Amino acid sequence: MGTYVLRRLLLMIPTLIGITFLIFMLIALSPGGIGAALRAAGGSMQADVGSRAIQEAYLEDRYGLDSPVVVQYLRWLHRISPVKFGERAQILPTGEVVGQPRAMREPPMWRWFLNELPPEPAPVALETAPDEKNGEARSRAWSLASNGYARARSTYVASRAVFEQRLGDYAKAIGRGDLVDYRNRPDLGALSKLSPDKNSPAWAEVEKAWDATITAYRAGLDARARALGVFEAQLFPQVGLPVIPGAVSVALPDLGTSFARGRPVVDLIATALPVTLLLNLIAFPIVYLIAIPCGMLAAVRQGRWQDVTLGGVFVALWSIPTVWAGVLCLGYLASDQYLGAFPVGGLNDKDAASFTFLPTWGEMGFERGFLLDTLWHIALPVLCLVYGGFAVLSKQTRAAMLENFNADYVRTAKAKGVEQKTIVFAHVFRNSLLPLITMFATVFPATLAGSVVIERIFSVPGMGSMVIEAIYLRDREVLLANTLMIAAVNLLALLLADILYALADPRISYK
Amino acid sequence: MTSTQPSSSPGPRPEPASVTGVQLMQGIGVREARGFWADAWSSVLKQPRAVLSLTWIGLVAFFAVFAPVLASGHPVWFTEKLADGSQRAWSPLASSLSSADILLLVATLVAAVVFVLPIKKWMGWTVGRRLGLLLASVGQGAVMVVVATALKGYLEQREVPPWAAAWRARPGLPWEAAAVVGALSVMIFAWLPTFRTLAARLSFAVLVAVIAGAAIGASWRTPPEVFSYRQKVDAGQAQAVWTLVPWSPVQRGTNLRLLEPGSDPSTPDRDAWIRAEFRPLVAAAREKAGPEAEKAAEAAKVDAPSPRAAEQLAREARERVLAEAESAVRAQALPELEKRALEKFPKGTAPEFVMGTDGIGQDVLSQMMYACRLSISIGLVSTGLAVVIGVTIGAIMGYFGGWIDTLLFRIVEIFMAIPVLFLLIVAAAVLPRNTYVMMMIIGCVTWTGAARFTRAEFMRLRNQDFVQAAQAVGLPLRSVLFKHMLPNGVTPVLVDASFAIAAAIQIEAVLSYLALGPAEQASWGRLLASATNEVGEFKWWMAIFPGFAIFLTALSYNILGEALRDAIDPKLKKARV
Repeated sequence: MGTYVLRRLLLMIPTLIGITFLIFMLIALSPGGIGAALRAAGGSMQADVGSRAIQEAYLEDRYGLDSPVVVQYLRWLHRISPVKFGERAQILPTGEVVGQPRAMREPPMWRWFLNELPPEPAPVALETAPDEKNGEARSRAWSLASNGYARARSTYVASRAVFEQRLGDYAKAIGRGDLVDYRNRPDLGALSKLSPDKNSPAWAEVEKAWDATITAYRAGLDARARALGVFEAQLFPQVGLPVIPGAVSVALPDLGTSFARGRPVVDLIATALPVTLLLNLIAFPIVYLIAIPCGMLAAVRQGRWQDVTLGGVFVALWSIPTVWAGVLCLGYLASDQYLGAFPVGGLNDKDAASFTFLPTWGEMGFERGFLLDTLWHIALPVLCLVYGGFAVLSKQTRAAMLENFNADYVRTAKAKGVEQKTIVFAHVFRNSLLPLITMFATVFPATLAGSVVIERIFSVPGMGSMVIEAIYLRDREVLLANTLMIAAVNLLALLLADILYALADPRISYK
Repeated sequence: MTSTQPSSSPGPRPEPASVTGVQLMQGIGVREARGFWADAWSSVLKQPRAVLSLTWIGLVAFFAVFAPVLASGHPVWFTEKLADGSQRAWSPLASSLSSADILLLVATLVAAVVFVLPIKKWMGWTVGRRLGLLLASVGQGAVMVVVATALKGYLEQREVPPWAAAWRARPGLPWEAAAVVGALSVMIFAWLPTFRTLAARLSFAVLVAVIAGAAIGASWRTPPEVFSYRQKVDAGQAQAVWTLVPWSPVQRGTNLRLLEPGSDPSTPDRDAWIRAEFRPLVAAAREKAGPEAEKAAEAAKVDAPSPRAAEQLAREARERVLAEAESAVRAQALPELEKRALEKFPKGTAPEFVMGTDGIGQDVLSQMMYACRLSISIGLVSTGLAVVIGVTIGAIMGYFGGWIDTLLFRIVEIFMAIPVLFLLIVAAAVLPRNTYVMMMIIGCVTWTGAARFTRAEFMRLRNQDFVQAAQAVGLPLRSVLFKHMLPNGVTPVLVDASFAIAAAIQIEAVLSYLALGPAEQASWGRLLASATNEVGEFKWWMAIFPGFAIFLTALSYNILGEALRDAIDPKLKKARV
């Protein structure tokens, strides 16, 4: 058993890598790339190709989107992995995790202008190290250096984008328009093979842009040296535990920061997860309480009208599309045009913050309080969650019961004259519970993302709404973190179900 | 399918309730031996609810094929007087059909002929044979249409390589493209074992390619969707013969109005006219009642306790008088105005919207009909793809076992670890919004069920004698896997396929609801999504009709699946639900 569990746990690693890689590649495939989506999400509508290119270059640099996709994925994997290589990251008092300042990318086409690139300066050690106890001074030292580097870097990225635009103009001017893409960016590899044509009318502009670029590059190198100096002074506690100091360490996975919202993904999940859990924790007991008796009734009265009717109801409920159920509930029960008895969306009333927790009788008559208000808001979403699961579970109960009814021990019990009630409840039902209990372990994690549509219809701010929003905005960090979490919980639950099964049923053993 | 009549009885001989052994030997009461699937199918047909389900699916399929001819804003026949006085009579409907529309119509026609005529007697082709030939030709036509559409999309891009730019400038492009696509399809489809000799296969594939190529070439240019026919008819310049539902799904009313079912398209015009005429009347009435209102206001001020209350009371009194005046005008003038509006915009000049219109004035009924095609094709194609992928991978896993199984099962586990809907939403959001891509996405994500069933069956089968015999005589792996093992292990997959179709239809509805469905394609899910909006308005006709259609279709496939499962193996409870 121990080896079996260990083997399963180890096999989860390739699966998790596979699933995150799949999602990563899917997002990387999206037309225009993440940079374009982020720019659009930021509300920028510049029609001018040049300023759009600068903005995209800035966004791509900020989130590391300009490196090849596989490198980006490996970087993400390194962040997520508990075993980390290289210098350990430091954790700021604000909770932000910062790594070594990133290296500068060399300017394109520098061989046209220089024989060798300016050398990278050595890290500038802090002149006066801030007092150990003075946290504020240390934070100030860090933010001074890191903001300085960020500014210098963004200036460099912008001037590089301008330089590339000028190169695009230049390529068109020398009649090599085929090397330029629709964003007026030239194919640098092909262009660097040509020798510069200094008589071209576009050359003056290119040279001007190059001067700006190389100046910004030098400034960036200096700023990075200062930031590196502060980082190496180790003003803040380091993340994780060292295994080989300076090379390998162990730390908690870092889920990153949302592209679109600029907040740590963990925070976003921490606000959304309780909502989804609330929905499901209310829905599940209801499903089980209704479904198991129904399934039992259908099994006991197999072939009679109760079974046939229940069978029809199960199939019908199973066939109702979730979106239809949601829209009908919203239209007929919540909309003011009809019944208007329920709220149209959200999780709480807009004045919910001033409510007492429990319902009270106050001066204004009955006040429903926070608890009842929440229940009133989630009634319809829970209804929509319940009906589908009810059909599945009833069918499963019926099938499990029938399987046991045909078993030898039931025939023996009948033969020796055991009461029908005892057979059903004491023998058959208890043996049929096994698959139902283990099913809970597998179904529950699936609902983490399964209520996506329902949350969307009723605008409940849970995990589902977060995921959908992240998809529309191409918010890769949020999506990947969600994928990883759901997949890990799901795989663990599958394993747990198998272990439970073996524990509960001695006939099953794993090697 | 195959006949259920006892073959040994030439005449109408009454069948005895029970037969003796001697009678059996005489051939009395002997039933013709039937195949496994034919037997299962006939017991499915004995269940009334399964027949009802089949009827509904047949209805959806009927609309899927005939929607472009039944519901179109292009008239069937249009006679117009041109500026130079000559007459031009043509069929806008025919020229609006796409190659897929034409091929579907042709295929349905051919299928009807092939299955109704007694071809078995003439040529000895069994139903299975005919079905196979039909499937092969439909597959070839579908591949040609898809490739031609992709090619056309590629050629119409803004920036294309020089060869493409040169090609698209040629006048003969449609026919050349059709010929290229046709030749390609012949190269692939001549390999299918439709006929025994290569010459016959080739000529069959060429025949299909010529028909499909003609349809593709004829409908290469998509004319702009202009629906100016009705204006010309109203102006007396033309006469038109309309289809059953004279609106196209993409046809927008000029006023973009949301109309309830059964409403007359001229209602908004009438309402607008009445409002415009009514406004000055009301203004005049209010002005006339002005002095009287002031008097009432003064009177109300008198017994007020405080100045603020006096203001309030005066305002209320003034408003009351004005409102009375307004309602008097309304009672007096409105019926008259309505009558005049009816004269000005008479009812029934344009056909009514039977199921209403959506938010941008498109006919709902026509969209419902066109959406049948998406529903049928998404269900069948995506499930077909999932079955093919799943059976292939499952067969390899189950047959070889060992490290191949471990490796491939990681792929299956990837799809098991993450909820299917989650993966589908991500994929649909980032990939192009088009029907073919959507089918591919659903197929590529939902294949794991088929793979797991096949794997389990093949693990059971691989130690059985007939498989070992097949291996021992040295049959190639392809033959062992797919000719000997597959027919014995595919049953649970095919039963599950019916449930998978229902699931695919529901998935399509969800994706369309989230605005991730195919663009430019009528869909039940998209209609459903426009039933509610941010403001909380609810349009019942866009919730009831499409929602009920999705529900009925999913229910039909589920019922069929249950019936099939009961027929094949009453003990096979492992399948979904």
